[in-house]
Amino acid sequence: MKKSLLITMALVALISVSVFAGGSGETSPKIGFIGPMTGDNANYGILCNNSVILAVEQFNAKGGIDGKLKVTLVTEDSEGVPEKGLSAIEKLSSSDKISGLVGPVFTGVAFAVGERVQNEGIVMLSPSATHADITAIGDYVFRTVVSDGLQGEVAGHYFYEKLGYRTIGVLYAKNDYSQGLFEGMTAAFEEAGGKMTISEAFQVGDKDFKTQLTKIRSANPEAIYIPNYTAEMAQILEQAAQLGITIPFVSCDGFSNPDIYNLAGDFTDGVVYVGPAQVAESQAYATFKSDYEKKFGVSPDSFATNAFDGANILLAAMDKVYKATGKFDRKAIRDAVAATNNYQGVTGTVNFAENGDLVAYQGLYRVNGTTPEYIGTFTVVDGVLTQVI
Amino acid sequence: MGIAEFFQHLMNGLTLGGIYALIALGYTMVYGILKFINFAHGDVLMVGSYAGLFIYNALRGDSPLGPWVLIAFFLAMLASMAISAVLGMSIERVAYKPLRKATRLAPLLSAIGVSFILSNSAAWAFGTNSKKFHYPFDNTPFTFKGVVITPHQILILSVSVVMMIILKLFIDRTRMGKAMRATSLDQQTAMLMGINVDRVISLTFAIGSALAAVGGILIALDFKVYATMGTMTGLKAFVAAVVGGIGNITGAMVGGILLGILETFGVAVFGIPSGLKDTIAFGVLIIILLVKPAGLLGKDEKEKV
Repeated sequence: MKKSLLITMALVALISVSVFAGGSGETSPKIGFIGPMTGDNANYGILCNNSVILAVEQFNAKGGIDGKLKVTLVTEDSEGVPEKGLSAIEKLSSSDKISGLVGPVFTGVAFAVGERVQNEGIVMLSPSATHADITAIGDYVFRTVVSDGLQGEVAGHYFYEKLGYRTIGVLYAKNDYSQGLFEGMTAAFEEAGGKMTISEAFQVGDKDFKTQLTKIRSANPEAIYIPNYTAEMAQILEQAAQLGITIPFVSCDGFSNPDIYNLAGDFTDGVVYVGPAQVAESQAYATFKSDYEKKFGVSPDSFATNAFDGANILLAAMDKVYKATGKFDRKAIRDAVAATNNYQGVTGTVNFAENGDLVAYQGLYRVNGTTPEYIGTFTVVDGVLTQVI
Repeated sequence: MGIAEFFQHLMNGLTLGGIYALIALGYTMVYGILKFINFAHGDVLMVGSYAGLFIYNALRGDSPLGPWVLIAFFLAMLASMAISAVLGMSIERVAYKPLRKATRLAPLLSAIGVSFILSNSAAWAFGTNSKKFHYPFDNTPFTFKGVVITPHQILILSVSVVMMIILKLFIDRTRMGKAMRATSLDQQTAMLMGINVDRVISLTFAIGSALAAVGGILIALDFKVYATMGTMTGLKAFVAAVVGGIGNITGAMVGGILLGILETFGVAVFGIPSGLKDTIAFGVLIIILLVKPAGLLGKDEKEKV
């Protein structure tokens, strides 16, 4: 019902736009959105879609493209399933002829849809697909969310360059999160010139790490990286102390959960970890949040916030291309998105790296006793570690 | 691998094995008497640990390590043993006793049901986060010829050996133990001989569950308290009991230690990737069972003696 209603509205809008704009012979600009609008994960899709609706509405209220063309949003439901996502992009691309896409919301769908937009040459900005390899699909794929890969990259470079470690050991869990960080950190650490001398794994739910820790102790790396969740890290730190291990531990954003201090107590002292960057909440965000709440009656989550910036960047790119050429060339719009330079959005300053990843930041923390202290904000752009603050 | 590292791995394996043995004792005892695998045993252990944790924290308050903390720990353990014993007996009364005449499969399924009910209720009531059980003593490790040992490791090993001996003496030497053995042989005949079989079975569950509480608290010191703590540890202890020869108390000990050492040495000595630790340990156990189906110390007879 809801979908057909949206489509009808889109059609009505399309007709009215073509009627009004008909005189000059321009086509009506459209953007697409793909996300789970029904099913178990509908909450993610609906919140993100709201942001795009809001962005388009505000953009049109200011006059739209070149002060005369109103943009239409076409929303397609993916139900969070790659197959549905594929038929959605099929429709958006061939029948709606969109100029650009915000979404898809989920990583799995983004992988499938990403291939299609790359072939069709439609620029795509996902607000929430975090898997490191998403942007590797091609140059039409962008995201306004931090890649999972960034954390590992910042970690590897920081441990090598700032902490001066040349060898490192890793104790990781057999899950996507832990393994992804382990691989990301190791690649960056070795690229910087270090060497990962020992890596030991465990199964999720394990409580005894003494075998692995004893092996790591014998390999004697300069530091041990533990990209895990709190329950496991607390266990590891405590058992390492029981084995008399004095090698320093370094960790990941899992460590930013304060529960670690209840579970591990003093054993956290001296741990350095990569966590979320501290940012001051901007006025732009406050305005967005209140507009959003006023219109939809709910608060935006972080993905929805990302979607708002994604939609606005896309609209700005379309506006720029139209002003310059008088038409909506997909390739030109893609280039305009890629050329985004210090866009001041609700998530902060937005830039894209060469590969389409959001240039984002990670915070570095050092635990003093049981209190994390902020070291600074870092990022890695094209392989170089940069301190931002 | 250096000699010190070898002994370090051995020590790690022994402690882990001691933990499995402690829990395996409870499984094996109930099985020995009733020919019934109490799959809720691990979850009784979990409830016992929560009970122990709350009582210990309440008694201890903010006091620093010292005699009072040790006393608080001891009291908490006694209380949690009592609570677990009552819980074990109630479970038997409600979930197993009505099924005593049913097929062998029925009480087994009932036990699995109880296990889920207990762990889900605990997750609901106490949350899914791990809770720390603070050591009641100074657990600073000491080094003995290059091998690092913690007081807790020694405690685990000695408690499991002492428990095994006491349990064995109780069953072999006391009147109640004799009644248990009689019940184990033939419930009908035991009843004719004037043994109150219901009471014997209740007592079996009470002792088994109290043992679980002791094991739970000792494990919790190292592994923390959480709602699913009984599941994997319970499963491994069960395997240890079967490998040692289920129903045999010394066998539970042997099976537990063996499993602990296998897990450790598979990775440490044979260079198997550490993510496959359990796979290897369980694989070896399957081989043992293929060669000796009744377990290492079990008797290859149809009837239990």
